Amino acid sequence: MAWYRQFDWLLIICWILLFSAGLVAIYSATLGPVSQFLPAYIQGNFLNQVAWIGISIIALATIQFTNPRTFQQISYALYVICIILAIATVIWGVEAGGARRWLVVGGLRFQISEMLKLATILAVANYLTSRRDISAEHIGSALVAVVLMIIPAIIIILQNDTGTALVLLALIPVMLFWSGLPYGISLFLISPAIVAYFAVINWKLGVAATIVLTIAVFFIQKRPWLTSSAFILGNLVVIGVQVALYQILKPHQQSRIEAFVNPALDPQGAGWNVLQAKTAIGSGGFWGKGFLEGTQTQLRFLPEQWTDFIFPVIAEEFGFIGAGLLLLVFTILLLRLLSNAGEHRHPFAQLVIVGVAMTFFVHLLINLGSAMGLFPVIGLPLPFVSYGGSAFLSYSIMLAICINFHFFKREFSIYS
Amino acid sequence: MLRNKQEKRNDVSIRVLQVITVTIMLIFAGRLFQLQIIEYDTYGPLSLANSIRQESVSPARGLIFDRSGRMLVDNQPIYTVTVTPANFDSSTIPLLAKFLDVPEEMIEERLQAARRYSWHRPSRLVTDISFHRFSQIQENIWKLPGVGYYVESKRHYPTDVDGSHILGYLSEVTQQEYRSSRRYSLGDKAGRSGIEFIYEQDLRGEVGARYVRVNALGQTLGPFEQTHMGRTPIQGADLYTHIDYDLQHLAEDLMVGKTGGVVAMDPNTGAILALVSSPGYDLDRLTGRIDMDYWMSLNADTTNPLFNRAISTMQPPGSTVKPLMGLIGLDLGIIDPETVVTCRGGFTLGRLYRCTRNHGRQNLVEAIQNSCNTYFFSLMNQTMNRVGLNAWHRHTSSFGFGQLTHIDLPHERRGILPDSSYYNTHFGSSRNWGIGDLISVGVGQGTFSSSPLQMALVASQIANGGYRVRPHIVDRIVYPDGSMIAHTQERERVPWIKDEHLKVIQEGMRKAVSEGSGRFYADISGVEVAGKTGTAQNPHGIDHGWFISYAPYEQPEIAIAVLVENAGFGSISAAPIAGLMMEQYFHGQIRRNWVYQYVKTFTPRERDDRNESNDEEVL
Repeated sequence: MAWYRQFDWLLIICWILLFSAGLVAIYSATLGPVSQFLPAYIQGNFLNQVAWIGISIIALATIQFTNPRTFQQISYALYVICIILAIATVIWGVEAGGARRWLVVGGLRFQISEMLKLATILAVANYLTSRRDISAEHIGSALVAVVLMIIPAIIIILQNDTGTALVLLALIPVMLFWSGLPYGISLFLISPAIVAYFAVINWKLGVAATIVLTIAVFFIQKRPWLTSSAFILGNLVVIGVQVALYQILKPHQQSRIEAFVNPALDPQGAGWNVLQAKTAIGSGGFWGKGFLEGTQTQLRFLPEQWTDFIFPVIAEEFGFIGAGLLLLVFTILLLRLLSNAGEHRHPFAQLVIVGVAMTFFVHLLINLGSAMGLFPVIGLPLPFVSYGGSAFLSYSIMLAICINFHFFKREFSIYS
Repeated sequence: MLRNKQEKRNDVSIRVLQVITVTIMLIFAGRLFQLQIIEYDTYGPLSLANSIRQESVSPARGLIFDRSGRMLVDNQPIYTVTVTPANFDSSTIPLLAKFLDVPEEMIEERLQAARRYSWHRPSRLVTDISFHRFSQIQENIWKLPGVGYYVESKRHYPTDVDGSHILGYLSEVTQQEYRSSRRYSLGDKAGRSGIEFIYEQDLRGEVGARYVRVNALGQTLGPFEQTHMGRTPIQGADLYTHIDYDLQHLAEDLMVGKTGGVVAMDPNTGAILALVSSPGYDLDRLTGRIDMDYWMSLNADTTNPLFNRAISTMQPPGSTVKPLMGLIGLDLGIIDPETVVTCRGGFTLGRLYRCTRNHGRQNLVEAIQNSCNTYFFSLMNQTMNRVGLNAWHRHTSSFGFGQLTHIDLPHERRGILPDSSYYNTHFGSSRNWGIGDLISVGVGQGTFSSSPLQMALVASQIANGGYRVRPHIVDRIVYPDGSMIAHTQERERVPWIKDEHLKVIQEGMRKAVSEGSGRFYADISGVEVAGKTGTAQNPHGIDHGWFISYAPYEQPEIAIAVLVENAGFGSISAAPIAGLMMEQYFHGQIRRNWVYQYVKTFTPRERDDRNESNDEEVL
C-alpha cells in the first residue's frame, strides 16, 4: 500500500474545510464592511490567521515524520514545562478580555493554556497506560490521574479562563472512562454537570435530571451505595446551584447566568450577546444573507465575532445550509477520530485520540451552546474556525498527532 | 481473554461516545433549525429593526407676513458643531478652539459631558455659531476627526418691527409634551406666546421620517435604500396678517420708555393693524441659542415685559366711555340730544362729585366734547334710578366690556363690567352697595376695567355704525399645497343702536378732537379724526392716560386705542400717540415733527394739586 494511502485523508479534508470556513468567516467579520468600525489590529486578524495556518501546515507535516512513541516519551516533560509556563502566566501574564492568558516573551505572545490541554492529555494517557496494573479501575491510580488533570485546571482557573478549565475538568470522566472506569461510576461522575445544567434553568428540572440519572446509574450498575450516592449528589448539586446563583457568584457571573435563562430580561446589558447572536443566527434563514451581507455581523452587533461568536457569522451569512454543513463536518471529524481510536491497537494512542476528540467536543458543546442560547456564555473558541493563532496551532498539533497515530497504527500497535 | 474483554469494552465505549456526539450534534442541528427556519419570522425583522432606525425630519416652520406681503418672520439656518468622542482626537482641541473662538477649557468640559452621554453618538459642542466660523470648520473638517455639524433652523425676524406680543416666542418642548404628542420630538421648539402659540398646529407642519442604517454603536451609516418607507416632511402653513408694518413700527417707536398698550384696527372688519404692549422684549434674543441671562432678566423684570398689556391689562377706561354712556342714555330714553344739564363744577348726591370746571349748560354733544363729568354723573344717577344697574349692564356689554374679544392671541382677559351680582359678591353683606358706588362707574372709574383692545373695539363699534366685529391678527392661513383658510367676517349689529343716536355721539367725539381736549395733539390736517380722551384714576400712583379714536370721521378706516400707564392726562399722553399714528396711516409720514419729539421726550407729570379729588374725572 502506498504510504499516502495510509494517511487519514478524511481528517485532513475536514481540517481544511474547517479552517477554510474559518478564514471566510474571519474575513467577513474583520475585513467586510464592518472593518470601518474596527481598530486596525483587528483588521489584521485575517492575515495573522493565514500565517498561523501556514505554520500549522508545516507543523502538521513535520509531525507525520515523528515516531509516535516520541509523544509518549516527551509527555511528562511537556506536562511539567507547560505547568511551569502556566504558573508563570498566572504571575507575569498579560490580561486580555478579563482573563490572564497570555505570556509575552520577547514580544511574542503565547497562550499556554491551549498547549496545556495537549500536554495534559498526553501525560494522563501515558500514566494510565504505562503499566498493566495502572488503570482507572484501581482507586489509587485513578486518583493520580485525577490530580494530574486537576492541577492544570486549578492553574487555569487562576488565570480566570473558565472555558479552558471546564475543558480540562471534562477530561477527567472521559479519560477515566476510557481507562476502564465502570460505566455506572462514569455516569455518576458526569451526572453533577448534567444536573447542574438543568438546575440552572430551573431547580425542578435539576431534581428531575437527578432522578433520571439515578435510575440510569442503577440499571447500569446495580450497586445500592452508588445509586443512593448519585441521588444524594444530584440533589446536593441542585441545592448548591441555587446557593451559588444567589449567594456565591459575583454579580457579573450571576447576570450571565440570568441572561442565559432569560435573555429578554436585560436586552441591553447581560442579555445583549445572547440576543444578538440568536438574532444573527435566526435572521440568516435557510440560505443566509450572503457573504459580507449579514447586517448583524457587518454592523457590529455581534460581540467577539471573529473568535467566540464566529458561528453566528457563518449562520447569518450562509444560513441553515452553511451552518448545518459546518456541524456535519465537525460531526464527521469527531466520529472519525473516535472510530480511529477504536481501531487502534495501542492503548496510549487510543486514549490520546479519545482525549483529543472529546476536547474538541467540549469546545463545540460550549461554543455552539453559547452562541445558540443553549448554554450560558462562556468564552471558548470554535476549534479550527475561530481566530486565534496559537490556539489554531495547538488544535492542529493535536489533530496531527491523531493522524500520526493512525498512519503508524501498524508499527505502533504492540505493547512496549 | 483479557485482551478480548478489553477490546469489547473499547468497542462499547466508542459506541457510547459516538452516540453522545451524534446526539449533541443533532440537538444543535435541531436548535439551528428552530432558530433559522421556524423562528425566522421573529429574528428576520428583529435584525432589520436592529440596523434600521427611523429619524424624524423637521418641517420648515411657516412664515409670517404683514398685510403688504412683507415678511415679518422667516427661518434661518443655525450651525451647530458636534463631537463624537470615540472618533475625536484630543490633540485637535487647540485647533478646534481657534476655529470656534472659545476657550479650550470649554471644549474639554463639553467633551466630558459628551462622553458621559455616548462615546459613539454625536453630541452638541457649540450651538448657533456664525456662518463664517461654520465655513471655517467645514473646510477643515478633515483635520478634526470626530467633529461634525448639524444645520438646524431658528426663527429669524428680518424687519425692524419688534412685534414681540403679536408674534410671540418659541421654546423647546418639555419632556412631557414630546412624550404626549407624536408631533414633537426631543429638541423641537413650539410657539409659547402670540400667534406662534395660537397657530402652532398650522405653522409647525408635518414631521417627515427617513430611515437610516445604523450600527450597533449607534452611528448613522447613511440612508436605507428602501426609500419608499420614508415620508417627506410637509412644511408649515404661512400666516398672512393684517399688521401694517409702518404703523406697527411707529407705534413701537412711540411707546419706547412708556408702559401701556396700543391697538389699531380696521373698524369695519376687526383686522388688527398694529398692536403694541410696552415694555416689549427682543425676540432676536430668544431664538436659536437662547440667551439664558436675558430670559432670566425678563422673568425677573418688575415691569413684566412678557405681559401683553394691549389685551390683558385691566384698567378703568375713564372718560373714554362717556360717548357710550350717552348712547345708552339716548336709547333708554333717559335723555335726548337736547337734554341740558347745568354744570356748576360738580354733581351733588349725598356728597360732591367734582367736575373739572364749571361748564355751565351742556347738551350731550357738548358734554362729550368737553368731557363734562356733571352731565354723566347726572345721567348715571337717573339711569340707576329709572332702569337699574342690570339694564345698564346689558346695554354696556353690547360693546364687549367684561367679555373676551376672542382675538387670536393667548392670555386675553375679559376685564370687569360690574352688575348687581358682581357687587353682591364683592361687597356682600358687609355693607350695602348703592348709588354712591355706581355714580363714578358712569364715567368709567371705580370697578369698571378694560383693556386697550376692548377700547379699540368700542371705538370701532361707534365708528362702523354699531356692528360688533371680532378682532384678529391673521387674515389667512396658506398651506403648502396652495389651499387656504381665510378669516370669516363676523359682523353682528347691536340691535338696540339707532343711527340717529349714534350720529349724536359721533358728533360729540368729532368735536372732542376738533374743539375739546383732543385738539392739541390729535386733530391732524387732512383727515377728520373723532375721539375721546380719558384719564383712569390710579390709587397707586400717577393716573393712566387713555385715548380712543377713529378716522376718517365720515368713512372710518382705522380705530385706535392708546393706554399710557402712569402718564397723567390722556389728552397729553395718549392722544399724541394716536394722532401721530393717524398721520402715519393716512399720510404715510409724520407731518408734525414737534409732536413726535414731544412724545419721544414725554415725561408724565403729577396731577395738578388744584384738581385733587378722588372721585372725579379730569378732561
